[in-house]
Amino acid sequence: MADAAPDLQKITESVENLKTELEAHRYICSDQIATAVYLAYHLRKPILIEGPPGVGKTELAKTTADMFALPLIRLQCYEGLDEAKAIYEWKYGKQLLYTQVLKETLDEVLQGAKGFAESVSRLHEFGDIFFSEEFLEPRPLMKALQAEAGCILLIDEVDKSDHEFESLLLEMLSDYQLSIPEIGTLKAVNEPPLVFLTSNNTREISDALKRRCLHLYIPFPDLELEQRIIHARVPEIPPELRRQLVKFIHELRGLDLKKVPAISETIDWARTLLLLHTETLEPQLVRDTLNVILKFQEDIENVNSELTTLTSQALK
Amino acid sequence: MERTLTNFIHALRSSDVRVSTAETLDAFNAVELVGYEDRGALKRSLALVLPKTADEKETFDLCFDQFFKFTDIRGDRDGSDAEDAANEYSEDAADGQDGEGGAGGDNPPTGSATDAKGKRKSKAKSKGKKAETTAAEDADAEEEDLGPGKMSEPSSELARLLMNDSKVELSIATAQAGEAVGVRDIQVFTQKGLYTRRIMEQMGLADLNREISDLRGSRRIPQRRLGQNLRQRREWLREQVRDYVERQFLLHADADGRRLREELLRKVKLSNVEQRNFRLIQDVVFKMAKRLAALHSRRKKVFKRGQLNLPRTLRHNMSYDGAIFDLHWKSVKIDRPKVFAICDVSGSVANYARFMLMFLYSLEEVMPKVRSFAFSSDLAEVTELFERNKIEDAIAKTLRDYAGGSTDYGQAFVDFKKHCLDDVDNRTTIIILGDARNNYGDPRTDILKEMYDRCKRLIWLNPEPRNSWYVGDAEMRKYTAYSHQVEECNSLMHLERIVGNLLKTVQ
Repeated sequence: MADAAPDLQKITESVENLKTELEAHRYICSDQIATAVYLAYHLRKPILIEGPPGVGKTELAKTTADMFALPLIRLQCYEGLDEAKAIYEWKYGKQLLYTQVLKETLDEVLQGAKGFAESVSRLHEFGDIFFSEEFLEPRPLMKALQAEAGCILLIDEVDKSDHEFESLLLEMLSDYQLSIPEIGTLKAVNEPPLVFLTSNNTREISDALKRRCLHLYIPFPDLELEQRIIHARVPEIPPELRRQLVKFIHELRGLDLKKVPAISETIDWARTLLLLHTETLEPQLVRDTLNVILKFQEDIENVNSELTTLTSQALK
Repeated sequence: MERTLTNFIHALRSSDVRVSTAETLDAFNAVELVGYEDRGALKRSLALVLPKTADEKETFDLCFDQFFKFTDIRGDRDGSDAEDAANEYSEDAADGQDGEGGAGGDNPPTGSATDAKGKRKSKAKSKGKKAETTAAEDADAEEEDLGPGKMSEPSSELARLLMNDSKVELSIATAQAGEAVGVRDIQVFTQKGLYTRRIMEQMGLADLNREISDLRGSRRIPQRRLGQNLRQRREWLREQVRDYVERQFLLHADADGRRLREELLRKVKLSNVEQRNFRLIQDVVFKMAKRLAALHSRRKKVFKRGQLNLPRTLRHNMSYDGAIFDLHWKSVKIDRPKVFAICDVSGSVANYARFMLMFLYSLEEVMPKVRSFAFSSDLAEVTELFERNKIEDAIAKTLRDYAGGSTDYGQAFVDFKKHCLDDVDNRTTIIILGDARNNYGDPRTDILKEMYDRCKRLIWLNPEPRNSWYVGDAEMRKYTAYSHQVEECNSLMHLERIVGNLLKTVQ
């Protein structure tokens, strides 16, 4: 699929084309999601994706990278992430080593220099070299700008990072450039990267960041869409069982749970059931495999008591 | 089209969706890309650009549906034939795109719409004459029966528009007239009639009326026939314009009106809030809370200059060959305020307690550690109620279970001491809400003093105005001595100020 260079022009021509292409890469999506990618591509704007965990936020970025056959550069955010880890760092070791070398050859360099002023100006030339791109260790954001053919930049879970980091991103997101005090401003080489930011909404993202992005909210899919997703991801599962298990998951989402099962859990469960050669949902079977879809003991206990009714409802 | 979009954004703003200028530009770019042809695509694209939270998306959906209502001026008369419904559908869709223009643009019809119009015209001509005149007979039975036949040509501009059966042009004319009389400035619903009339006048109602009366007075039958017809169409137009004004009102004025009401509600005494305004007040509380949360969501650090963070410093200076010149200091993250709210929920103060609890729990994001207690005579902790239920339900349950009974502050303090005085530490802020009217019981200031000594801050909020604090059975004088701060608090504005200060000083 991705080995032949994809026909970008055709893919990005319309929302429908994008949607079918995403589906060809086993990412089943709603029109809203396809529209988001379409707009992001044409307007060259980052997409901020929000939604409950496990609805395919990160997956969308990965699939898009696959679809456009572009490298995916990923920056996982966490508390304490700073520019040294996100943008660039000086190769201190290398700088030190070169200083040593320079020290030894200092005499040669300064030979013939007339007076102090000229010596200093000669040394200055070296000073500039030490702070050039040669000595720069690029981190994800800078790598993304330097990618020759463009790339997909995924800034994952941006809500986990600090406020300071958010502000750091602003320049990158609005102008696709980064300022490095010693060197100047770095601009995107050719194509600016297509940026995806994901957030689980553990805190509000600042308005300044939101303003620079398209905002896509991915909710849990409806019955029909989720069935198609399962079909794409676990094609071996029989249709009847697929219908039942998706229905069951939807029933669960209606309950008051600490963490409701997401699509990724549905897929895992489908694989589990397939492995167990299941043909139809039964209360006992569900009870045994409940830990695949529910991740809190409290939730499991809550659901256990209503398991029979839930299962019979799913079978309807 | 640009006008339409800016108008739409204006409408969004008035329903509390924050749209910046930059986003407006984005919207234009997006629309340029997807065009106006496909309503679904337009909506999806704008939904990506304009609203930026889940709440805003909901508002956006509503607003979009209302604003881009494509059946702007529907010819119910000529489109009623069932057999035509199917083929009409496609045309209506095409008409629809132009209908947007009707929502406020003074733009020329696009190519596709002109096509559709052409088709419609020819069709209307063929079937229209029969259908309309028969309809006319049905409606105006008392009018003289002129029978089907030739009608004379209308003379005034509005009449021509009406007889043209062109919904698109009519809707554009309506919108233009609406703009001209400034329908967007409409403020209260009683103005609807006024604006309807003004728009009709702007569209040339006077000419039309004159023409109709002339025609009806005429002796020639085709002219009388036209007169009848025009009269019906005038009524129909009046209805359409009324609809249009109604929509504009909902889009623009309703939001303004709501803002006005909210503004008032912030200042009104909370005990005077009527039941029917509770919903609105809740919205206001949530909104205020959200603003405060946004303001204080940053967790600050305090750097203890002078205390070196040795491990961190060493790690960072490794790359400098171990020469320590990049120093890192120890820092402490400031804790979120730990709040104990003790609320008197006896009859007179219950309403205040309701809104204060609502406020505190809406601030969960920045104040995760709220414990609440309710009492009228005996005190009980209700924190768990709030954890398990929605805020409104929890408040209702609290009031149901603990209100009633005569107030006894002494007993409440005794209970508090028994249950959780040990949990009060030097980071705790205690907020007591009550009127301090103790029915001449023992005020137990000794316990209050104990609380005062242990906690970081003790704030007493009294809903009564200051001058009645020391009257009758009120023990405010005694309690004031053992509070860090006493405040009069009987409106949302007071609440906002106090909680805002709390967040500021504690953080």
